[in-house]
Amino acid sequence: MEVLINLTLNGLATGMLIFLLAAGLTLIFGLMDVLNFAHGGLFAWGAYSGTWIYTSTGSFFAGIAGAILTGLILGLATEKWIIKPVYGNHIQQILITLGLMLVLSEMLKVVWGPNQISASPPSYLAGSWELGNIIIIKYRVFIIAVGLMVFALVQYVLKSTKIGLVVRAGVMDKEMVQSLGINIQKIFMMVFMVGAAMAALGGVLLAPYSGVIYAEMGLEFAILAFIVVVIGGMGSFPGSILAAVLVGLSGSFMAYYVPSLSLAVNMLLMSAVLIFRPQGLFGLKG
Amino acid sequence: MKQLMGNRMNAVYLAVAIFLIILPFVYESRTLLILLTQVFIFAIFAMSYDILLGYTGIVSFGHAMFFGIGAYTVGVFMKRFEPTVPNLLLSILVTILLTALVSYVLGLLTLRLKSHFYAMLTMAVAGLFLVLAEKWRTVTYGNDGFTFRVPDMLKDRTDFYLICLVSMIAVFALLKRFTNSPLGRVLQAIRENEQRTESLGYSVLHYKVIASVVSGILAGMSGILYAISLRFVNTSVFTMDITLDALLMTIIGGVGTLVGAIIGAGLIEFAHHWLTELAKVHWIFERWIIFFGIIYILAVMFFPMGIVGTLRNIKFKGKKEKQQKAGEKIAS
Repeated sequence: MEVLINLTLNGLATGMLIFLLAAGLTLIFGLMDVLNFAHGGLFAWGAYSGTWIYTSTGSFFAGIAGAILTGLILGLATEKWIIKPVYGNHIQQILITLGLMLVLSEMLKVVWGPNQISASPPSYLAGSWELGNIIIIKYRVFIIAVGLMVFALVQYVLKSTKIGLVVRAGVMDKEMVQSLGINIQKIFMMVFMVGAAMAALGGVLLAPYSGVIYAEMGLEFAILAFIVVVIGGMGSFPGSILAAVLVGLSGSFMAYYVPSLSLAVNMLLMSAVLIFRPQGLFGLKG
Repeated sequence: MKQLMGNRMNAVYLAVAIFLIILPFVYESRTLLILLTQVFIFAIFAMSYDILLGYTGIVSFGHAMFFGIGAYTVGVFMKRFEPTVPNLLLSILVTILLTALVSYVLGLLTLRLKSHFYAMLTMAVAGLFLVLAEKWRTVTYGNDGFTFRVPDMLKDRTDFYLICLVSMIAVFALLKRFTNSPLGRVLQAIRENEQRTESLGYSVLHYKVIASVVSGILAGMSGILYAISLRFVNTSVFTMDITLDALLMTIIGGVGTLVGAIIGAGLIEFAHHWLTELAKVHWIFERWIIFFGIIYILAVMFFPMGIVGTLRNIKFKGKKEKQQKAGEKIAS
């Protein structure tokens, strides 16, 4: 029982981190038809800049704020200089965002050095609660709470505000939205920035969770996020959280019971979705 | 006119080939010999990538997996069994089977969907192979890799140089023929306009899968040569860097030209060599991927046709429109 609860919490926490990464990816894809291969790079930049601010100021929340700010700035720059010049050209977009991904992860090594950087949760989030003989690690609960909050917030904005309405309409039919006199370019930029900020937030939350950060982690998590996006359906926001939790849980349970199969199981899941439901579980377009 | 132009190009290719064959006998430099061998091996790899990116318009981010499958197959065969020529041939056969199987399954799964799916799935599967190579220690010896002995006939550097050169020329001729065949024409039609090709009655998926399998097998062959040249194999053959090399070589050299892939391979390998030397001067040159990455981004933005494509554009103004289309092929 104790093992089950711990594995579930662990899986949920990892799932939430992947969700933060995949949510931006799926929204950007749904709205702009851009698959951003540099998203993992933004994630890693969030982790590094956030951890750097956290360790130098001592305040974890300053670190989180710093990571979000980094995400917003990098998102703005990426949209303006990298994505915009190649709008509507799928192959060029794929190629160019991969190039950016590599430059971003190498730049990390230039700025913060090639070695791993360690991080630990702040004192008020360290340690664990004991309920009977079940040990619950505080930081995992914190991550799950933050993930759910972000989900609720974005879901609220999408469903109940004017901007959310425009974004949802844009996912369905960009041209129509444009012909109604709405500046869709501005919406694109905003969604891209928010997506990048969510990725950066995921990165900084991961740092104390896994204990170390390194430049290659962007690519590793990006691959998981791609799997999530394919399973959940490109462009589906609720799909991304369900698929992320699914991938997180299957990862944590498999790592405990059949460790050699933990990555393969996600691949099998993705292959099954691609064969039987190529648009994803909740996808609107293929 | 076209015939004449073709003849002139063929004469240039022949001259370069003869020059490269004679080179090791007149100019003795071990470093240059090894470097050129690497160029030939990566040229084969880049040409196989060009079939996907340049001729069919498919983006793969996991081309390293075929390269790695080839390298590990030959490595494991030479290590486990006697390093003899029959075993080498057997390992080549196994590589062909494995790469064909993997590329066939991957292609069937994702090529009927939009282009990002193939890019994404190949990236994920290549990641899976990397993990497999790290974890399956009994066969792969994990991260450290292993050394192995090669058959006697491949031991001499000059001989091996010639083998790689001949392989490259053979692959070039074969792919030239392949891309000019009716099948190759259909592939280029898919690149230009997929819907129209489909409505003309071609089963697009079928042709795309063929391109994927041909490209996968050739990439496996280059992996075999690579492993033999080093007599060592480790997990680095599955990393993103290898895929990046292929991308850089084809894009900088010129997509959809084959020669471009060879020129690109030469440029990148030599630049790589020089930048590594420069690392002694300033540490920033250790991070050479940054330079390549920036050049790559700029090339995708401003020179989507690469060196060969741009040169052709300047030279044959009459053909300009056609060539520009070839550049925009990256479009569809």
